[in-house]
Amino acid sequence: MDNPEQLIRKGVHHTALKEGAVKGFLGGLTWGVVLVALLIFGKICWDGVPTLLKPEAPFVDIGFLTKETETLHVFDDSAGTRHSMPASEYHAWVDKNGSAAVFNEQTYAYSGGGIAGPIIGTALLTLLSIVIALFFGVAAAIYLSEYAKQGRFINLVRLAILNLAGVPSIVFGLFGFAVFVLAAPVFTGDPADRTLLAIPLGFTYLSFQGWNSSLIAGSATLACMILPVIITASEESLRAVPQGFREASLALGATRWHTIRKCVLPFALPGILTSSVLSLARAAGETAPIMFTAAVAAKELPWANPWVMLQNQVQALPYHIYTLAARIPTSEYTQRAQYGSVFVFLMMIFIFSALSMFLRQRVRSKLKW
Amino acid sequence: MPESSSPSPVPAGHPFRRKGRGTDGLIRAFFGANAGLTIVILVLIIVFLVREGAGFFPDYRKELELYRKAGLEFVDFPRKDLTAHEQMSSLLNRAYFAQVNSACRREFLRSAEATAIVTYVNETVTPAQSALQRVKEGVGEGGEIPKDLQASLTAKYKELAAKAIAGKAGKGLPPAPHLTSEEVTGLLNVLADRDPLSTEDPPFITAVDEQLAAKKAEAAAPFADFKATIDEFSEASSALDTLISESGDVVKATKEGATLHEIEITKRATLLEAAAKTNKPELKTQLEADAQAAVTTEPVDFKAAVEPVLARMGEFRDANATLGKSASEILAKLPAKLEDEKANRYLSAFRKALPEYQNEVGDTVGKMEAWKYDLPVGLGSTLWGFIAGRDWITGGEWQDFYGIIPLFVGSLLIAIIALALAIPLGVGAAIYTNQLAGRREQNFIKPTIEFLQAIPSVVLGFLGIAVLGTLLQENSTKDAFSWVPGFPIQQRLNMFTAGCLLGLMAIPTIFTLSEDALNNVPSAFAEASDALGASKLQTIFRVVCPAAISGILAAVLLGLGRVIGETMVVLLVAGNRIEIPDFSEGLGVFFQPAHTLTGIIAQELGEVPFGSVHYRALFVVGLVLFIMVLGINWSAQRILHKFRIGHE
Repeated sequence: MDNPEQLIRKGVHHTALKEGAVKGFLGGLTWGVVLVALLIFGKICWDGVPTLLKPEAPFVDIGFLTKETETLHVFDDSAGTRHSMPASEYHAWVDKNGSAAVFNEQTYAYSGGGIAGPIIGTALLTLLSIVIALFFGVAAAIYLSEYAKQGRFINLVRLAILNLAGVPSIVFGLFGFAVFVLAAPVFTGDPADRTLLAIPLGFTYLSFQGWNSSLIAGSATLACMILPVIITASEESLRAVPQGFREASLALGATRWHTIRKCVLPFALPGILTSSVLSLARAAGETAPIMFTAAVAAKELPWANPWVMLQNQVQALPYHIYTLAARIPTSEYTQRAQYGSVFVFLMMIFIFSALSMFLRQRVRSKLKW
Repeated sequence: MPESSSPSPVPAGHPFRRKGRGTDGLIRAFFGANAGLTIVILVLIIVFLVREGAGFFPDYRKELELYRKAGLEFVDFPRKDLTAHEQMSSLLNRAYFAQVNSACRREFLRSAEATAIVTYVNETVTPAQSALQRVKEGVGEGGEIPKDLQASLTAKYKELAAKAIAGKAGKGLPPAPHLTSEEVTGLLNVLADRDPLSTEDPPFITAVDEQLAAKKAEAAAPFADFKATIDEFSEASSALDTLISESGDVVKATKEGATLHEIEITKRATLLEAAAKTNKPELKTQLEADAQAAVTTEPVDFKAAVEPVLARMGEFRDANATLGKSASEILAKLPAKLEDEKANRYLSAFRKALPEYQNEVGDTVGKMEAWKYDLPVGLGSTLWGFIAGRDWITGGEWQDFYGIIPLFVGSLLIAIIALALAIPLGVGAAIYTNQLAGRREQNFIKPTIEFLQAIPSVVLGFLGIAVLGTLLQENSTKDAFSWVPGFPIQQRLNMFTAGCLLGLMAIPTIFTLSEDALNNVPSAFAEASDALGASKLQTIFRVVCPAAISGILAAVLLGLGRVIGETMVVLLVAGNRIEIPDFSEGLGVFFQPAHTLTGIIAQELGEVPFGSVHYRALFVVGLVLFIMVLGINWSAQRILHKFRIGHE
């Protein structure tokens, strides 16, 4: 230890070894995580692609995407050949061959046919919720970035946004169930027994008895859940618009609202929409909030006119996957429905996420001030 | 904002004076109201959780009061001893069987593998085989099967059998590492040559089973005394068992009578109310008559009803003494040590639990004597029964209990597994990506981990059921892993599987936030460290990481919040057994199924009647969850604020 030169040389050598080891270890961890992510993706694609894609034209199993969900019947015919077909085909087959020709019959609920119902349901839920959340979220963000000054109210709002973002999705489910399903106001001539409050309006009642489990209740619940994300992202985009735009507009005598409408919003809009695509993916992916507020395992298409549809339950892709995974035992006959649904669902989510990433890049590179 | 009070140069009535009150003011108010919406939602969440949950405690208290009055509580004192006794016996039995089975593990696996092969072949040939059988039944005893049909079906059978034996059907031939290849071939040959109509097991299976039985008998021989001791110990509870089931019937009848009477009273009240409201005289008399007829039972006299049960106190005392005696005697008779490690663990767990068990049994008589049917149940003890209750039993005949402990323990253990995985991986990956990785690596790692975050939880849950659970269970039977505590895994869906998946979900959260925290450390810190001659590692671990530690801690806490609040994965994968896990398994406890706070809400809310005690209990669980997660997030924010280093 007396000779400093020796110390340095030794130290350098030792450190290089150690550095390599630590770097290798941490790198191994990191690439391990990446590998697991790729493995999951690969597994779903490996099992999902054969159910959805076909070797001959049109290469995609259109029926899986456009038919409604049915029960799958698996049985042997009298010659010992095994058939598996959805309920509608099965009934046609039985009509033709007689029920005496069916042996060793097994049924798998929700595993036959396609997933048109869940796809449409998820699309409606997501779109409706994003419309609601964008309306309220952008308005709130405008207030936060354009009007608000430091104060108690603003601190409270920020605290609420922060806390709302951390609330577990199942608590949103409980909240949606208690508020939108059981306590939201409706106009009705005949208030239900469980109503919280019925205000007579002469010709009808405004009864706080809820919207029942329905598309609108589920969308409202999902909207509450994504609201904080939308507000935060929108505020960020609004703040990114240079202050000079506003000052110039105000200096020309425009009112505050006019300034916002003409000189702030148009420039913030791309950013807002980009972030809302990401919220779209999140809203589409959640199961817990819609379990009690909107989703149902089986429902026949078509779902009547829009007004009636709003008040009815819908099928949803995540809930469909939950049903398939939790209630139906895995077997070779249910694989098509299970992996197919998961694959389609994951593709939807990934397209949304990738789209939002891509748009974010573009917006960043295009809008430079 | 308050207007300034200084005199304005603008004359009154000028449009400028309307500032903040005209259209612009309205628009401002509109946007402000929307911002306030977030507060409204948060308040609504709290109000509705509290509103639906508030009714729980009084209702639950009423239920508990009936539980006491009817005498169910009295019978439950000795019943608890009985359950404890069963658990103690099961510990001994497990020790015994672990000891015996460990000696014949190989034979056991051989038998299981051979059976699996036979089952696999049987399942594959089923279509042809059952068709043949049907044809045979169709022609009757003496009849002849049409030749061509026979031939075609037999050919079909042969084809399927050949496919099965080649391992091309379904998932392929089940693996058989403990059978020699000659044995497997022999077994397959026998199966291939079998008569198409026979479903009998080949002789090899019988032989393997016989080997297993012989080995078992051989292994059990030295432990015959031990087994006799165990049986004697288990027998000690038989008197108590009969006594409890007999008095249980009596008190249950009392409770049912009381419940029925209450329902009838409520019905009468409803009818009378309706009668008071109506203004048609004949409907009114009708309703009133119905109301009088509604109550058909007398109110239950609890004191008299519980009398016959109390009268048997002497018998209870005797049975309790038998139990206590068997417990105090058993210690001397137990072997000091068992050879098998697992068996030994069960045995020492028994020894450890014995004093507590003896105490419990000793206390019972005192509790039963002090018990009074008309002692009121306090709201405090109801609350305590919820917070510290060890049972969550619903929809039972006997009595519903709402104790949060089993759910809480499940959530906690799963969170521990998830964090044990996610903290090293998430933080390690963040340090690597931020400090050590090259630019190109970064550009690949970051989006991939972000994609991981985008995977919906229900998809991960599905993968847990379809892939991970089976994979873990199958691998846990391998010889190479037999040293791991808890292996082989009994249940495919357990806390470990759920914890792994939740860890995977928490990694992106922890990674992203830690990476941000590392990024926010001023570059001057690292530069100064470099300038002082520190090595790269010293700079990272002594300077950059400590400077970012608050951010990393906050990231871990937020990850914990996400894990605790996650629903779908635990609902699908955790196994959903509502019980406090058995900690006598050591680390193997993580491989048991459990239920969680989030899972119970998702599973039961759809099934409970609106407004019932059970329904309200779920809202209280939701409230607990809400408070927990809010607390975690709040601490994360505090940590971020308090220990912030560097420029912001």
